[in-house]
Amino acid sequence: MRNLISLLFVGGLVFLLLVLTLQAPFAEGPMLVGKGILQQGTEETGTANLVTSVVLGYRGYDTLGELSILFTAALALGVVLGRRRPEAPRDLEAGLVLRASSDLLFPLLLVVGLYIILHGHLTPGGGFQGGVILAAAFFLPVLARPSQRISHAGLMALEALAGAAFIIIGLLAMRHGGQFLQPLLDKGQLGSLLSGGTLPLLYIAVGVKVGAELAGLLVRLGDAEADS
Amino acid sequence: MNAVALLVVLPLLAAFLTPSLGRVSGLAAKLLGPAVLLFCLGLVWHYSTGDGLPFSIALGGFLPPLGINLYVDSLALLFAGIVFLLVLLAWPWGDGSREQYALLMLLAGSSAALALSGDLFNIFVFYELGAVASFGLVVSAGTRAAHLATFRYLLISGLGSVLFLLGVAIVYINTGTLNLAHLATLAPQSLNNIQGLVAFVLILLGVGVKAELFLVNSWVPEVYATAPGWVSGLLAGIVSKLAILVLLRLLILVFDFPDAHNLLLLLGVAGFVSGELAAWWARDFRRLLAFSSIGQLGLVFIGFSISGQAGVMAGLAVALHHVLVKPALFYLAESWGGALGRLRGAGGRSPLAAAVFVLFALSLIGVPPLPGFWAKMLVIMGLAGEGGNLQITAIAAVLVVTVVEAAYLLRLVGSFYAGDGPEAVPSKQGPGDISRALLFAVGLLLAMVFVLPLGDWLSSVSGEAMNVPHYVAVVLQRGELQ
Repeated sequence: MRNLISLLFVGGLVFLLLVLTLQAPFAEGPMLVGKGILQQGTEETGTANLVTSVVLGYRGYDTLGELSILFTAALALGVVLGRRRPEAPRDLEAGLVLRASSDLLFPLLLVVGLYIILHGHLTPGGGFQGGVILAAAFFLPVLARPSQRISHAGLMALEALAGAAFIIIGLLAMRHGGQFLQPLLDKGQLGSLLSGGTLPLLYIAVGVKVGAELAGLLVRLGDAEADS
Repeated sequence: MNAVALLVVLPLLAAFLTPSLGRVSGLAAKLLGPAVLLFCLGLVWHYSTGDGLPFSIALGGFLPPLGINLYVDSLALLFAGIVFLLVLLAWPWGDGSREQYALLMLLAGSSAALALSGDLFNIFVFYELGAVASFGLVVSAGTRAAHLATFRYLLISGLGSVLFLLGVAIVYINTGTLNLAHLATLAPQSLNNIQGLVAFVLILLGVGVKAELFLVNSWVPEVYATAPGWVSGLLAGIVSKLAILVLLRLLILVFDFPDAHNLLLLLGVAGFVSGELAAWWARDFRRLLAFSSIGQLGLVFIGFSISGQAGVMAGLAVALHHVLVKPALFYLAESWGGALGRLRGAGGRSPLAAAVFVLFALSLIGVPPLPGFWAKMLVIMGLAGEGGNLQITAIAAVLVVTVVEAAYLLRLVGSFYAGDGPEAVPSKQGPGDISRALLFAVGLLLAMVFVLPLGDWLSSVSGEAMNVPHYVAVVLQRGELQ
């Protein structure tokens, strides 16, 4: 019975979506805001990557919301998983191949992650994507050597500082008489590394926060005791 | 004027810092939140007593509709104030963990953001933030039952969010904008069609998950029965009310069509009838409160279905009355939770708590001098003013179900004073919970005494919220840097 109801609901939703998409004015819709941003975005924010001007400029406040959601999810997961007993058994060390390749990959991932974060205002990428790569860089050695620990308190402090930095950059703009998150500093020359005002700084904060958060989450999941 | 962003940002900042601060000093982590909440309350007071309302600020200096704006009017400040006040009252001084402190601040910040936001997608983001924070708070009770209830809540919420996002996408495809004021100017042409109606239904179901709307409220009884009393109080007091506020804004600015109002009426009546009937069957105190909460929110939807200012005022009155009553009842449930049979003779063991409960019960039923009566009265008068067949049927349903509501609440009150309980069950009230409940009772009595000025004030608040041309003018013309 329950399955039948779910099936009916899903079927109805699919039908509705089909009808709507057939009617919807795709690619020729009004796109008022989109067109506006395409026209003025580069000039107003000084970032060569237009996506960044939306993520950190026009909708930077939404990005703060997204960061908070990730933070909240990590926090709630911490509540659910609880703490590990000190005497609980750990997984065995991985073999030589895995250990050696994780040692090799670590610096590589670090460089790629940082590059993607720092060039977020110029090329596709940015704080979120780079942060995930950074998290992978720090989690890989833990997978290869389960006895090796990353300091949980350290990760938390790093995350708190990065989150606070994002907000404080926003608040600094208010001290200068602007609005919250208004870009400060000189826009610089379009396409050079030092351009886009404070937006790259915001992206660094995002990258560090996302990286620390995901690394913390993975470490926590790896730390959780199995039920068996 | 631009400091209004602090209402959202400072709670978030406090939340980011709390877990790390808690490692250094537990006391500082405990005090940081209340200090920020007090500051925010002061800020709300400053804006609501000053002149210049309503005004709008463009975040980041990017003018709407390209950027995101915060719209500040009496209604937004009222709800923001309620949020900070209720979180402050619910603050777990004794037994809170630093995770709970941080989650509470995230809930406060996201709720304030919902109250102030002037952008549809921004509403979605902070609605999600509030949802995730509430998952964390419910699960922090730590019991297995709470974990299960949260999981069900999470699934329904997830479904709701997807529908909400789909609705937002349909709105954007058809209008090309997400700013509420901009939408208000475009909606009469671009959304007054089947696409607009579908978008409304999807967004209604999405927001309805938190607003305990009929069809998507099956998580409510489980969660309220397993979460700590102060968390249930916050969910019923803040989260559902902010969802209501979001819906009200959308209804006034974007989806002001007759079909939308009729749909709200139907779902509201269904929620009111099903909630109150389920409460009549309930044999567990917290479940009873949860079902009654579903019923009350159904009444709010019925109120909003009435067109024009009368509807806004009626819905707001029921919602505000519910804010005064339900959190306090959940504080009482902190030690009264469990089977209703345990409460036999509770009137003798904790007379003060029982008296407070009687007061709230009478107000919920709508006994004349109490505020609950005026709220229900506004709904019924508004429905009568509309005068359609649907509305007359709704009046009949509301009146009949009110009798059911009276029956189960008075049955419970009767058992409070019916001799001694079966055995010495520990259903005495702790001093902390009863004093918090007493505060709400005092608020209710004050509302009863000052019902006339309150009515005038509510009428001016809803009049201001109804003024769509003024909203558009404030956001789009005067929305520059202030």
